[in-house]
Amino acid sequence: MVNAITCLFRKKVTGGSPVTDDEIEMIGRKLRCEVDRVFGHSLAIRELDTGSDNAAEIEINNLTNPFYDVERFGISFVASPRHADVLMVTGAVTHNMVVAAQKTYAAMPSPKFVVAVGDDACNGGIFAGTYAVLGGADKLFPVDLKIPGNPPNPMEILAGLLALMKKAEGKLHQDP
Amino acid sequence: MAAPPPNGNDWIRELLGPSFADERITNGPAREYYVPVEEHEFVPAAEALCRYKFVLIGLFACEGFSDRAPCSLFSVFEKKEHILILIRHVNGHAASVAGLFPSASWFERECRDGFGIQFDGAFDTRRLFLHETYPDNFHPLRKSFRNQPAGEEIPISPEREYLFRVVNGEGVYQVPVGPVHAGIIEPGHFRFSVIGETIFNLEIRMFYKHRGIEKLAEGRLPDDGLRIAEAVSGDESVANTTAFCMAAEKISQIEVPDRAWYLRTILLEMERIVSHLNDQAGMLVDIAFPLGANQFAVLREECVRTNGRLTGSRFLRDMICIGGVSKDISGSALDDLVVFLQQFRKGYRVGLKIVLSTTSVIDRFATTGVIKKSLLRPLNITGPVARASGGNVDVRVNHPYGIYDRYAPPIKPLRDGDVLSRFTLKAAEIMDSVDLIERLVAEIPGGEICSSAPVKDGYTLSMVESARGQNLCWVWIRNGRIDRYKVRTASFCNWLAIEHAIQGNIVPDFPVINKSMNLSYAGTDL
Repeated sequence: MVNAITCLFRKKVTGGSPVTDDEIEMIGRKLRCEVDRVFGHSLAIRELDTGSDNAAEIEINNLTNPFYDVERFGISFVASPRHADVLMVTGAVTHNMVVAAQKTYAAMPSPKFVVAVGDDACNGGIFAGTYAVLGGADKLFPVDLKIPGNPPNPMEILAGLLALMKKAEGKLHQDP
Repeated sequence: MAAPPPNGNDWIRELLGPSFADERITNGPAREYYVPVEEHEFVPAAEALCRYKFVLIGLFACEGFSDRAPCSLFSVFEKKEHILILIRHVNGHAASVAGLFPSASWFERECRDGFGIQFDGAFDTRRLFLHETYPDNFHPLRKSFRNQPAGEEIPISPEREYLFRVVNGEGVYQVPVGPVHAGIIEPGHFRFSVIGETIFNLEIRMFYKHRGIEKLAEGRLPDDGLRIAEAVSGDESVANTTAFCMAAEKISQIEVPDRAWYLRTILLEMERIVSHLNDQAGMLVDIAFPLGANQFAVLREECVRTNGRLTGSRFLRDMICIGGVSKDISGSALDDLVVFLQQFRKGYRVGLKIVLSTTSVIDRFATTGVIKKSLLRPLNITGPVARASGGNVDVRVNHPYGIYDRYAPPIKPLRDGDVLSRFTLKAAEIMDSVDLIERLVAEIPGGEICSSAPVKDGYTLSMVESARGQNLCWVWIRNGRIDRYKVRTASFCNWLAIEHAIQGNIVPDFPVINKSMNLSYAGTDL
């Protein structure tokens, strides 16, 4: 009972951020401005794994943890390609994933952008030229930006997204 | 029957029969026993091993091992500390043991795809890692196959489509999920047959990420194998490279310096902590309890950053090398690690208390996704999944490697086998790993970190307890190059347990059950 009363009257606040990392804040603020300007306040990303070793997904997932919390910069990871502006591809494209990857890309509304995350997605990495993979993501669809790394860390992915904003602006202006 | 005596070959004769004379039995560098058997001897031998409660932990093929036949099949049986490998020399056909050892089903289908071996009497002869886009009679692991880009893809016509088990009846409907999922996870297909909200049957289809790891290793220098072993599964980099290096070291009788083993063990345990934290955070996300999930997500990121400071890689990559470790970690860095772990332990206890004192968490976790103990042996379920279901299995204890004989972790199996057991078991293992790392840092000796000796020719089996369970690899080095690198991660076997764990549960509980088992798609699909 005492507990319930305390809960009722206690000041409702969310906990403080675990750390304030100036670097993240700086790049995040820039990203926020760019997302506001180029994508009208919200950037929806769909992640697609076409054959990674799962390290790149883990780093992308980390973008949503309380350290990075990219949602406060207007970036959200969406459950369906139909809601996505950007397709974030990880891993070399395996033959077994080709059809599913093509369907995912086709389901996205235009204008759409593709970002390859990690060495394998950029050019096939160590799997390039083998029987089981087609190569990098650019073998399947036009890639707007490549973020190399094995895997790239969350800061590098954020920096990549910032670079994408500049590129996307140009592309959006070209489109009628 | 009492446990077979540890020395001599008598126990093998006791199991398999008097015809297995000493000259037929060879001892591998990892104390595994190789016994060549004729095809007609194999099934009775397998039956005997099944009776004596051996587990089939691996079955793989290899070309050019014997002059007698083009292909040799290795069946790896394990019971406690004993490992017995039966070798069959086969010419296109072999008897299936999937009826005796259900874990053989995927192994045999894998061999069939890779080498074109037909398993007579198998209950499932569908292709496994080669999906419809690959042509018929395509067997990439044969030596005659050159590893180069395949030609035109085969269009998938309806008659080529994969046949899932069909469940018919009034009110039964199918829910196909994947390969592309809603979250940021790896691809795989799940075919649910559902009645109302309750899952009646689940069939999984994997191998969307098959990227040809084993073929890639063929003909490479042993040092190139490290990068390939790291790519098996990103969050098991240390475990898989350690297994590979241990094999090369045993074959070449390379003595790994003590300091290197201490460092390796610290890294292995750090990897386990990070992996378990990731599961725990994921499980809480899947039951919509972000307050708890974020406790663990924060700790996890702190651990990953600590890893980055220790080794220069958030995934502890490029550290393990043949003969030891590639970089030393300074005494002050290790002291910082201990300071961090002390903080970590406090933070972890707070997080754990928040989670385990929340009724909605217990309500969702308890009695959900039960894995029965009787499943463990037939399917070779290992790791925390097995230990949460009463299994007394841990490679670190059953087949101690490195310095684990001196630092054996306590195995404290739980009995219920539900999601809650797996959650609490992982919590205990995280604490054990923290304690172990602290002890290791306190007692780490100085000296060399790597012994540079040339890698010799030979073959052996090697096993490591990764965060997910028993990771096995078999390495054959011939003429200074890798001839065969067979890797079987714990996930490969553990995946099949989910088909059983899910039955009778509701569809919305699938994500949390899946996460609680922490299965790697990359490590399975290779």
